[in-house]
Amino acid sequence: MSIVATASIAIQRRFGRQRLRQYILGSIPFVVLISAWHMNTVFEWLPPVFIPAIGEVWDAFFILQEDCAGVGAALTLDNSCLMSTHILSSIGRVILAAVIGLPFGIAFGILAGMSRPISKILEPIGIFANSISGIAWIPLAIVWFGVGWMTTLFIMLNTIFWLMFFNSMMGVRGVARVYEQSVLTMGGNRLDVITQVYLPGAMPSIISGMRMSMGFGWRALIAAEMIGGDSGLGFMIFSSAEEFKIEEVFLGVIIISLIFLATDRYLLMPLEKWTIHRWGLVWKPT
Amino acid sequence: MLSRSNLNRLAAFWRHFPAANAVNLTLIIIGIMLVWLLISNTIENPARYLPSPIQVVLSSFDMIYKGLLPSYFGDTITRLVVGSSIGLALGIPFGLLLGLNRTVADMFYPMMNFFQSVSGIAIFPIVVVWWGNSDKTVLAVILYTSFFPIAFTVLSGVREVPLRYIHAARTLGASRYQIIRDVLLPGSMPHIATGSRLSIGFAWRAVIAGEMLAGREGLGWMIFTGQDADKTSEVILGMVMIGVSWIILDHYLLRPFEADTIERWGLVQR
Repeated sequence: MSIVATASIAIQRRFGRQRLRQYILGSIPFVVLISAWHMNTVFEWLPPVFIPAIGEVWDAFFILQEDCAGVGAALTLDNSCLMSTHILSSIGRVILAAVIGLPFGIAFGILAGMSRPISKILEPIGIFANSISGIAWIPLAIVWFGVGWMTTLFIMLNTIFWLMFFNSMMGVRGVARVYEQSVLTMGGNRLDVITQVYLPGAMPSIISGMRMSMGFGWRALIAAEMIGGDSGLGFMIFSSAEEFKIEEVFLGVIIISLIFLATDRYLLMPLEKWTIHRWGLVWKPT
Repeated sequence: MLSRSNLNRLAAFWRHFPAANAVNLTLIIIGIMLVWLLISNTIENPARYLPSPIQVVLSSFDMIYKGLLPSYFGDTITRLVVGSSIGLALGIPFGLLLGLNRTVADMFYPMMNFFQSVSGIAIFPIVVVWWGNSDKTVLAVILYTSFFPIAFTVLSGVREVPLRYIHAARTLGASRYQIIRDVLLPGSMPHIATGSRLSIGFAWRAVIAGEMLAGREGLGWMIFTGQDADKTSEVILGMVMIGVSWIILDHYLLRPFEADTIERWGLVQR
């Protein structure tokens, strides 16, 4: 057996034949797209004002970061380190909004799921708030908070809170009453019911809601930064488009989608799967 | 759309409407109005920060009298209908075609996953550089946002049609076209309905954002310029219009349509 054949068999064994096939097939459109992009630069079908060269997009990252004094300046969101400041402030907003919005959304959702009178009041408000998509709040938020951190944070919180509220409410409602009654029969109090029954029972729904709200929240955040922000990736692509720096726009868009894909694929999706496996009420024969 | 079951549902809705639900809803709306009135009366400069509901209603009269509100509303709805119907008309066949062949589906799945995660709003600055602040730009953003969710859902719908149905049809001598028409299309119908609702929802957000950013006349533009011109009552009026029209569209048109489709074509036996 030749070395090539041995190596190919080893690779197939290592990664799995089907998965290897999927990876290779899946990469074909990307390769075609990127080579078409490069060919456009070489043959100039469309002028570089509209579609920048790949090299320029790559360079734009370092040009934006050029004046940076060091790690310390980058971490304090200094205006000299443009690239890292934009990325970090977008991510910072997401984290801040998640830290504030998720617990509140879950708490109110569980409360509404437990008691009918509360849900009767909050549910119509939530339906209305959800249907005014986060973006439509931007002008009012600018009036209230001015341009900057508060506005973008408000938009993101608004989007996260109501989605989380609905998902945890539905999750709590889906928990069978038998569990609650059995805890009460065995002498548990209301707090026990929440921590032992409702929270674990609603967990799969809560985590899916988390994933969904991060997706919607990220979109809303980009829009909010475009209109009412003074930093962040959305602000970067919008202001670069106004200056016709198309390479910076492309760079920003690619970074936005990569950050989203990475968090969704490597943080939220495994978390969701694990939660459903661990807390899901669907019984699976082993 | 106006099928018998829809009419029945409408009748059932009206039967239930006068009962507790409506009273509850009216009480909540009155309560919110009162709180709103109270807040706007206590803060300084309410005309700028939170105009009272009365002022909002007055501004709506003003805008209807000038003919602005109906025209903005019409523009927005036209944009939504045109953009999302082109998006659906392109996305459904695309998803079906990709679903026909497993190799092709495997090939395009990751790329579509990638493009779906690039939100249409993020694409906006690129399109603006290409076409400027025109209707074409807004339409392109709406198309982009509505195309990928529907194509993605239809693709997964086609792939979820049980193979034995296709085999059964083929054994009975069906041609390729017949398999598509009689097996794959009905089998993926529930996914098509769900995906349409999803992508019309995304398109709605894109319409609002596109009008704001590109400055084309419509509800999004109305709230954006209202903020610039310091007419907060118009901003709130626009927001209420946006919310109410989406609730009407979603609850009384798209959801019944989706439920009917799933009931009629769904593979789950009840």
